[in-house]
Amino acid sequence: MSRRKKSRSLPPWILPVLVLLIALGGYWIFSQGGVEGSLRTVEELDPALYYGNANSLRGNTYRIDAEIDSALGNSPLKGRLFSVTLKNAPKGGPPVILPVLVPAGLGSLTIQKGQHYLMKVKVDENGLLNVEEARKP
Amino acid sequence: MKSNILRFAAFSIVAIGWVASDFAQVPNAQTIHEVGQQYKEGNTLQGAMDNSAIGSQAMFEANLKAKKNIVDMKPNTFLAMWNNPAFAVQFEKYLSAPAETSEDYKLYTQRINKIMELLSPGNATKANQDEAFNLLTKASEFESDANICTTIHDAVYAAANVRVLVKNLTDANQQSERELKAAEYNQLHSALSLTLPALAPSKNDVGVYNNQQKELQTSIMDPSKAEVSSLKQTIQRNHAQITTAEIQAKFQMQALILQLFVQRRYQHVIILNRFYRALFDDGDQSLEQFNQMADKMGYNKAAGQAKITADANPKGAIASGSGNNSGPGVGASAGTGAGAGTGGAGGGAGASVGTGYYNNAGMDAAALSGSGINLGVENLSVESAQNALTTAMRGASRTFKSLSQIDGIANEIIRDVNEGVKVYKYLLEKEEMESAASQLAAVFTKGEYLPSVRLLSQDDKRKTLAYAQLCNRLVNAANSGNIDVLTDVVDKMKRMDPDFDDAEIHAKLQGVKTASSLLVAQAKVAAAKGDLQAVQTEITRAAALWPNNPELQNFSSEMSRVSEKASPMVQALSDFDQLEGQGNYRRIFDEKEKYIAAVAADDSNNKSVRQEKLRSVLDRMQEIETSIMRAQEIARRGDQSGAWEGLEVTFRKYPDDSKLGQMRADLTTQTPDFVNDIRQAKEFESRKEYGSALAWYLRAQGRYPMSDLSKQGIQRVVHVLVPDAN
Repeated sequence: MSRRKKSRSLPPWILPVLVLLIALGGYWIFSQGGVEGSLRTVEELDPALYYGNANSLRGNTYRIDAEIDSALGNSPLKGRLFSVTLKNAPKGGPPVILPVLVPAGLGSLTIQKGQHYLMKVKVDENGLLNVEEARKP
Repeated sequence: MKSNILRFAAFSIVAIGWVASDFAQVPNAQTIHEVGQQYKEGNTLQGAMDNSAIGSQAMFEANLKAKKNIVDMKPNTFLAMWNNPAFAVQFEKYLSAPAETSEDYKLYTQRINKIMELLSPGNATKANQDEAFNLLTKASEFESDANICTTIHDAVYAAANVRVLVKNLTDANQQSERELKAAEYNQLHSALSLTLPALAPSKNDVGVYNNQQKELQTSIMDPSKAEVSSLKQTIQRNHAQITTAEIQAKFQMQALILQLFVQRRYQHVIILNRFYRALFDDGDQSLEQFNQMADKMGYNKAAGQAKITADANPKGAIASGSGNNSGPGVGASAGTGAGAGTGGAGGGAGASVGTGYYNNAGMDAAALSGSGINLGVENLSVESAQNALTTAMRGASRTFKSLSQIDGIANEIIRDVNEGVKVYKYLLEKEEMESAASQLAAVFTKGEYLPSVRLLSQDDKRKTLAYAQLCNRLVNAANSGNIDVLTDVVDKMKRMDPDFDDAEIHAKLQGVKTASSLLVAQAKVAAAKGDLQAVQTEITRAAALWPNNPELQNFSSEMSRVSEKASPMVQALSDFDQLEGQGNYRRIFDEKEKYIAAVAADDSNNKSVRQEKLRSVLDRMQEIETSIMRAQEIARRGDQSGAWEGLEVTFRKYPDDSKLGQMRADLTTQTPDFVNDIRQAKEFESRKEYGSALAWYLRAQGRYPMSDLSKQGIQRVVHVLVPDAN
């Protein structure tokens, strides 16, 4: 007479724990995506490529992690021109300082020297980086 | 008397011109071979210091040489004529003058022809002579006549008056002779009527008686004798006066005929000649009176024919006298300059001192003398005028022996000239310019005033005029010694007249050119020997022979270079010009002391320009040198980028300075990244990629925050990107 194996079942409290863990993970994930927003999918700008041939980058959109270096000019129509220092510049090299134009449409941004911004920039016809979006990290 | 002198003066002036033209054509004694020999043997001036003298000598030789080329070649008679300037001017004037086709000239010609017709043999009746005589004044109204017909009119009138005088004297003599016969008869009758006493006187009364008889005879005969004697003297005086008057008139007209002949007024010669024959119809057509005058003309051998001892007191005299035919040597003569005087050899009246006697065997005597007559030609400044006059008169007197001879020659010349004009037109049609021009010149020379010559139209003369002007230029070019001009003229003549023989003159011109080149070669040899005096001499002579000799130009350039090298100052100026032209300012700066001194001492017209250039060069170099020194100092402190940047600013202003460029290159290797950033920024900026340019400038500034170039670049680009930035 076969002996019927005695079945073992999961403890009943494991399921709520799992659900809780999953909920906590989703929250973390969503909370992370909220910081970088839409920049999360934007490619980061390669400074060497930009310096070497900005023409080939025209029309492209990049992400830069930069610190405001100085204000170069302020036009009511065109916007504000800043020089920024990339935070993730190659080590051992000179600082990478790039010009960015914060258009008048982003006039609500308060930009000062030394501030850290994540920027979505577009390379325009003459090689200037036009800021489309900027957020503090 | 005065009219004779004036007539003689006019004749003499024409004659002197005639003789003078002969002088003008006397060929030069020197030959081309003699000139060449001078070069061969060397010249005494060769070692002289006076270059102007050498130049003058060379010019003379060149002038002579070129002139001889023309004179010696004798290509044709036409050119030979052009060697006489007086003829050339006169002939050119004729060629340029319009034809005498005016109504006035036609009328004048008709009147002259009418006069000649009226006086022609067979027509010369008393009435025709009078009509011709009256026409003279009318013919003289025209300019073409030059009042010659008036002169003829006056001469004829004077001669006619003489004839009236002679007739009156002849009539008076006839009356006197009748009275003489009556007086002689009365004298005879008186002698026969002397009464003798009936008784012979006593012995003691003989003496008293004889005395009474003599007184009686004297008282009866003397009046008769005196009357006879007086009448005889009157008759003799009248004879002498008749002879003298005729001689005067004949001489006057003969001299005028010869004068007109010399003037080439052949129609007037014929007219006056025919009047002469009509007036003096005694068959005497000889030129005896004129010939006598010519023989008595003085000739100053010491002065020679080309030089004259001018007599400021011209004298001429015509004297006549009559004397007792019983005396030997009775006569009269005109003294040379003494006029009628006293002291004649004979016992008669009217004798005068003279150098010779004519008709001294006759009872009456008359003579003319022109010895010592100067006619005031010294006022014309013509040398040898007296001798020339004498020569001309003697020549004329030996050429022409009678008026018929002159008449014949004049007619022959008129015919010859008319034929010559036809020949000229024919040659012109055949375009044989040389022959045609020669023919016209010959025709012009012989019969300038004849109608056939005056009536030649300007069209007929135009080609000859052009040819004549070329000939004139040829002679002038020969005289100037400029053989380039001479060659040009000869070529033009050849083109105008293919028959023109230019081979000889071209050959001689080539000879002159060769001689000039040889002299240049000699100068080069002398230069090689360092004989500067000889160089100067030879070059001067070479230039005189052929001023445009290209070898002279070359030699001159070579000598200039040599002389410049010989002078440091000149060489320095030359170097300065050259270096400044090349833009080698560094070299000028390196030797600035030399160039400053040279420019300061420059006495040429370029001094101010050079000074300005030198100042500019020195300012520029000063700026460069200051920049270099500053860069060196900055580099010494370790600021290679700063040093480079300082040089870069200066280099952009003066990119051609080698020292600046070299130092900039050295510093570039010491700060390559910064330099590369700046250059990249510049490159993008020049391509108007201002965004990239700004990035590079920012990068450069990141490397070297003190960079002015970066800062300036950023400002420029930002201004472009955001023009309205505040």
